[in-house]
Amino acid sequence: MRLFEYEGKELFSRYGIPIPRSKLAGDVSQALSAVDEIGLPAFIKAQVLSGGRGKAGGVVLVRTRDEAKMEAGRLLALKVGGEPTRALLVEEASVHGEEMYVSVSLNRGRREFVALASRSGGTEVESQAEGAMAEVPVPLEGLSDAAASALSTELGLSGRTSSEFGSILLKLERLSREEECELAEINPLAVHADGSMVALDSKVVLDDNALFRHPEFSQLPPEDPLEGEAARYGFAFVRLDGNVAVVGNGAGLVLSTLDLVADAGGRAACFLDLGGGAQRDRVEAALRLVRGLPSARAILVNIFGGITRTTDVAEGLRAVVSEHPMAPVFARVSGAEEAEARALLSGSGIHVHRTAQEAVLAAVEGAKP
Amino acid sequence: MTFEVPEEGDPVIVQGITGRYGSLHAGLMLGYGTNVAAGVTPGRGGQVVEGVPVFDTVKEAVERTGARASVLFVPAPALLSAVEEAVEAGIRLLVAITEHVPIRDTLKTIRLCEMSGARVIGPNTPGIILPSKRLKLGIMPAPSFRDGGVALFSRSGTLMYEVSDALSRSALGQHVALGVGGDPVNCTTMTECLDWAATADEVRSVVVVGEIGGDAEERLAEHIVATGFPKPVVAYIAGRSAPKEKHMGHAGAIVYGDYGTAESKIAALRRAGARVAMTTSEIPTLVSSTR
Repeated sequence: MRLFEYEGKELFSRYGIPIPRSKLAGDVSQALSAVDEIGLPAFIKAQVLSGGRGKAGGVVLVRTRDEAKMEAGRLLALKVGGEPTRALLVEEASVHGEEMYVSVSLNRGRREFVALASRSGGTEVESQAEGAMAEVPVPLEGLSDAAASALSTELGLSGRTSSEFGSILLKLERLSREEECELAEINPLAVHADGSMVALDSKVVLDDNALFRHPEFSQLPPEDPLEGEAARYGFAFVRLDGNVAVVGNGAGLVLSTLDLVADAGGRAACFLDLGGGAQRDRVEAALRLVRGLPSARAILVNIFGGITRTTDVAEGLRAVVSEHPMAPVFARVSGAEEAEARALLSGSGIHVHRTAQEAVLAAVEGAKP
Repeated sequence: MTFEVPEEGDPVIVQGITGRYGSLHAGLMLGYGTNVAAGVTPGRGGQVVEGVPVFDTVKEAVERTGARASVLFVPAPALLSAVEEAVEAGIRLLVAITEHVPIRDTLKTIRLCEMSGARVIGPNTPGIILPSKRLKLGIMPAPSFRDGGVALFSRSGTLMYEVSDALSRSALGQHVALGVGGDPVNCTTMTECLDWAATADEVRSVVVVGEIGGDAEERLAEHIVATGFPKPVVAYIAGRSAPKEKHMGHAGAIVYGDYGTAESKIAALRRAGARVAMTTSEIPTLVSSTR
């Protein structure tokens, strides 16, 4: 679960990491009173979770009250990567020199957390060559003062900047560990002339699987009602921009089906993994869910029966299709009692195929306008 | 760390046997011929599930049966302590079916393995099956697996069943099929699996089913080259068409920027000499042609 910038900064502040003075605003008049309180010039920042906010014009420096009013209105209507702005963060604009980067994140390959830092932060940090970052492993018990100092030294920091950086790194690491983050990142970390530092942005991703230990983070209801419904059933659901709804049991199986759809020249309307088993009630729920996807012109169902009898799956498919008119269903159902399942589906209006490839080709063809 | 895989008929235990999932699969494992000799659920000692006696602690179950392997169906918040208890009681091979385990719990499990020499497969794995030994420590559908010379290692469960089913239909049985798990971090890595396949005489070829996210396949490719891996490797990577920055079902199946893309994995495996299938249905043909 990714936190909004303002939520991440609240966490930073709780852990003693300096942040700029700021105020959250939900509409233009709140934004204006926030500007009055913070002073001008100020930054107004759209609160979205999608990347590329800066490039999409989601952060502006305003110098006058009129400018603030106009930009607040514009930013509230802005969408970044299709995602509407949730709120505005009005923040003091300070003069600073260097912009650094610091994060604590999981290194999957090495199977450990690492602290990464660079003297040159900002939006281009991800395109930097791998070697440009200084790095130290983070033990499960936490980073030692010595390791933090070593990282400061590696970056060529000295004096007040070195001690300030070390202190912020240790706080960020403690936050990452105690709140169980997958990623805790400050980019940029502004360095002032006197060596003090301020976190100008936050990127915090919590470990979803650890949320049971952190009940204070309540998940915002998803923007997409279908996502919310999918979550209630425990389905993994991702809305995509094509017109073939893809449903299957097992993440890998659905992923591979998406690839087959793309190879056949089609585009998937969604990814829906109903989970490893293929119990009849779950298959039915999944089909009812994707039937509500307006972009879907064909529904592709790829079930590997495993320990479930495919006749159960077939009966579920039949039941859903008969209760409501919907986009044509193309199914591949493999597993025990396959032949009986196919017989059950004949005459149901469901197109049954022996292989995933055949079902994919037919679904892509069927989705054409 | 080696794989201390039980022999045919050796006792194994099931932790979390009284749950719906645990009891269902204890029965299916027994049906396959695996000797599920005891179950463990704290507070449920004295019960019998699928004809299997249930104990309160792993220690009691081990004392009664001499088991050295365990399959875990415990809830995610309890996994780390269940693993600790099992290792303490002398279990050497642990198959963690449990999904939704916090990353730091998995990292602690890995450290426990490093210190104790015990091996954990998973979490979020379908388990491991060795058809020649009638040994099924997991939830995979047995009819899709038959004995043979392929070692099949997969990050995905259902895709592993799909591929083994296709292999079995082409008379390409499996000496072993093992799911490393769908999480960002696996206690047993693909690379360790490859080392096992290198030394197992029964294994004539290796099939790797990977997916987007992380760099397990790139590391595997490096390992193939570094060790001069002596057997043919066929690989398949799911998720070529997936969008970036979206979890595609598995917690581990996510691309960030250029990290974790299918292209990177396919290119690395090809450079290492692996044959890469573009669809799962090509896999049996590629395996046949490498022998």
